Amino acid sequence: MRLTSPVSGLLLGLLAFVAASEVAAHGERNQEPFLRMRTAHFYDVAWSTGKVNVNEDVVIEGKFRLFEDWPANLPEPEVAFLGNGTPGPVFVRTESWLNGQPAIQSVPLKIDRDYAFKTVLKGRIPGDHHVHPMVNVEGAGPLMGPGSWVQVAGRANDFVLPLTTLDGTKIDNLETWGVSSVVGWHSVWIVIAILWLAWWTRRPLLIPRLVAIDEGREKLLISRADLAAGAVLIVLTVSVVVIGFIWAENTYPRTIPLQGGRAVVKPLPRSDAPVEVIVERATYDVPGRSMQIRASVTNQGGRPIQFGEFATSGLRFVNRELPAAMAMVSPTYPKDLLPPSGLKLDDATPLAPGETRSILFDMTDAAWETERLTSLINDPDNRVGGLLFCFDDQGDRVIANVSGPIVPIFKDLVAHQGMTH
Amino acid sequence: MSAQLQENRDSVTLYGRRWSRENADLSRTFDILVVIIMFIAITAAFHLHFQLTVGDWDFWVDWKDRQYWVTATPILLMAFPAALQYVFWEKFRLPIAATVCMLGLTIGIWITRYSGFHTWSYFPFSMVWPATMIAGGLILDAVLLLTGSALITAIVGGMSFGLLFYPANWPLLAPFRLPMEAMNSLVSVGDYIGYAYTRTSTPEYLRFIERGTLRTFGGHSAVVSAFFSGFVCILVYLLWWYIGMAFARVATLPNRMKIFMGLHDRGAEGKDA
Amino acid sequence: MSSVIQSSGEVRSVSASRPRAMVNLKPAIFAMLGIVVIMAGYRIYQQIFAWSAGLDSTDPAFETYWMGLLKGELVLLVLSWAGLWSWLWITRDRNLQALKPREEMRRYFNLVLYIMVYALCVYFTGSFFAEMDASWHQTVVRDTAFTPSHVILFYGTIPLYILFGVGGFLYAMTRLPRFADRISIPHALAVAGPFLILPNLGYNEWGHAFWMMEEFFSAPLHWGFVVLGWSVLALGGLLLQIARHVFETMGRLEQEAAA
Repeated sequence: MRLTSPVSGLLLGLLAFVAASEVAAHGERNQEPFLRMRTAHFYDVAWSTGKVNVNEDVVIEGKFRLFEDWPANLPEPEVAFLGNGTPGPVFVRTESWLNGQPAIQSVPLKIDRDYAFKTVLKGRIPGDHHVHPMVNVEGAGPLMGPGSWVQVAGRANDFVLPLTTLDGTKIDNLETWGVSSVVGWHSVWIVIAILWLAWWTRRPLLIPRLVAIDEGREKLLISRADLAAGAVLIVLTVSVVVIGFIWAENTYPRTIPLQGGRAVVKPLPRSDAPVEVIVERATYDVPGRSMQIRASVTNQGGRPIQFGEFATSGLRFVNRELPAAMAMVSPTYPKDLLPPSGLKLDDATPLAPGETRSILFDMTDAAWETERLTSLINDPDNRVGGLLFCFDDQGDRVIANVSGPIVPIFKDLVAHQGMTH
Repeated sequence: MSAQLQENRDSVTLYGRRWSRENADLSRTFDILVVIIMFIAITAAFHLHFQLTVGDWDFWVDWKDRQYWVTATPILLMAFPAALQYVFWEKFRLPIAATVCMLGLTIGIWITRYSGFHTWSYFPFSMVWPATMIAGGLILDAVLLLTGSALITAIVGGMSFGLLFYPANWPLLAPFRLPMEAMNSLVSVGDYIGYAYTRTSTPEYLRFIERGTLRTFGGHSAVVSAFFSGFVCILVYLLWWYIGMAFARVATLPNRMKIFMGLHDRGAEGKDA
Repeated sequence: MSSVIQSSGEVRSVSASRPRAMVNLKPAIFAMLGIVVIMAGYRIYQQIFAWSAGLDSTDPAFETYWMGLLKGELVLLVLSWAGLWSWLWITRDRNLQALKPREEMRRYFNLVLYIMVYALCVYFTGSFFAEMDASWHQTVVRDTAFTPSHVILFYGTIPLYILFGVGGFLYAMTRLPRFADRISIPHALAVAGPFLILPNLGYNEWGHAFWMMEEFFSAPLHWGFVVLGWSVLALGGLLLQIARHVFETMGRLEQEAAA
């Protein structure tokens, strides 16, 4: 049942106006940097399309790693749920999978392990919507991945979500299923309540009755008819409840309780050729908008490796001189999350198996400011975190954790003030 | 009724006392204004209490479980009806307070589910319909009327209040408890609605629902919950009856601001009501 | 509401003193219509600008539409509070002892109407926009204390009911002898409890910053609002007090008519 009225007509008209106008992202930039740089790192994220009609699907796939340097003020991900960062139910989630397992229930996840996810969303409310993959962790809240704009075209009223239950009941549209029955039963009770109130409020109510009690004439206030009405009300109320219950039992004989179990999902296997990164010093040049990390890197695998990408908070600093790294960048990945200057190294020669070398990773871009990641100097825990994507000479990828303390460099007072406000 | 009200040209007799026409009319105007105020104010305060205590159990179809929803809702609902029954019954002999509470709450809830959850946040009504709570209110008022006793109303009315909540809502809820298969898993239609329509900041695990029992007698979780709820409702009714009594006390203090008011009659001792 | 202050010694014939003359509904009706229009305006504003400009507090449009509205509300709050309350104080009746029953009765009805306007504002806060706040938070990711639902609920509607709640309290204290003599505890509770919801925002925001990262409305960090909301029950005590005063005034009206 769709409730329509002049009011809803007006509001839906306004909604159409909103849908046609430009819309904003939703708050991910104001999530503290520690939440975005040291919890769930999403990578290989891809959206199947940037435009769907109402009732059509968009599929979001990718992986995430729960970071090794998990913030101490957050509980560990003992209970987590694969969500989607959308402005509420503008899409309907018809499927979601974690490592091939259904993600309809919550699951415990493990830190420093990787998970592959897939979410199928069906367009429902027209407009331009920012769509993020997301993991909710109990006690830590929503942890968002990168967001991409998906346009939903068409009319909201055309949306339907049909399904068939296990007892063979065909539901034409889940939006309206059971609603007329809800409204009907509410109406019955509202009418009975109004009749009961009308029975009493038609007579002089307050001051005369208060005075009658004060002056000892309270026997006049309740008549035999009132008592009879009370008795009728009890019988009526209990009867309606019993009749409703029996009706429901007969109409829906086979029901189940809400399903609240926890699922179990095994993480993806670990890489057998790890790269170890120990941060020596990380700095952020405030006016220059430049992050520099000097780290001691050890190749513990059997093949020489090169460094292709530093990824944090959905931002991908890609080494444009490494074809294997560039090949991993999908043309549909949001441009605002791909800083053009990318990742630069002071020494790009491949790191031989077993070799340890001190390397300077330079990531300079205004994205640090626009994504508000530099506001980490307002946090009591100033650590930077991200994933370093390393490629061997055959193009195979190894992902290393990078984390360590970070020191800001203020070169002038104006920039300093800009940072702290 | 005729014994309660008699009229002639200059005066009316209301409940055994003669009132001038003018005063009777004023009194009726007072009735109408106060009824409007009480309805609006009770709706406001009771709905605030309700949404921040029962809250999510009532907002979402996939929170309406057999354990917490059935247990907590009547207990938390009992507050305002019991407190206001004290005032309306003890001071006015009007057995309407619980019904007014439930009716106002129901109307207030429907308005915001429509304006907020449905029109603003896009949730379908199949997900955000409210439970019905009026049956319990009617029983409380009727029992108080017939017995005139707060204690019996607590015991009989309170227990009925807890016991009736689940069966009164079952015809609304049952369609959402049909079994279905989603992604190779068994879920109820209500679970699936909660899954499909994303609550960005309120994920599945936040649901405070029955996650399984230890041992339930014949699987009757809801019956056990309703019975326990009824028991607590008895106690909560009595507690709130006395809270209502405290709030209805007409206490006053001398107005220390009076010396700044520049009254011509300054110094004259005022009397309390 | 200038008509509420008339000379105390007015005498009328019985036929002219029907309730219609004694109860002046017009100012209250206009005030309530005005409130409904403001609330409808707020609601429409939310529908248009919450999704388009209210999701990201770092967005310049957010600064324009939401912080701009917030600043406007804060200015209006200071002006309306200062305006109505000081007007009620300055125009107080300094000769309450000479108050005739007919005028006193009129003022009691004005007080009741003040409370009615107050109740309507409390409705829009406690019921309408409060549950709207739930629907907003659970739909979006919390990113600022000044999110679109808060800008209207906390800084638009709460100050409005405080305006009329305290206004009614001052009206009673400055125009009705019984309330001038002694402070009514139920009246003070019914005004102060909901008023304290405004400073209680500190508890709410503290809780969301340091305690609970997730959104469910039943959470204990919201129970400050609940407890303060209970104080509306004190309207029961105030009703009893006003009813007895009105009845006593009715007695004096009859004596006056008989004389």
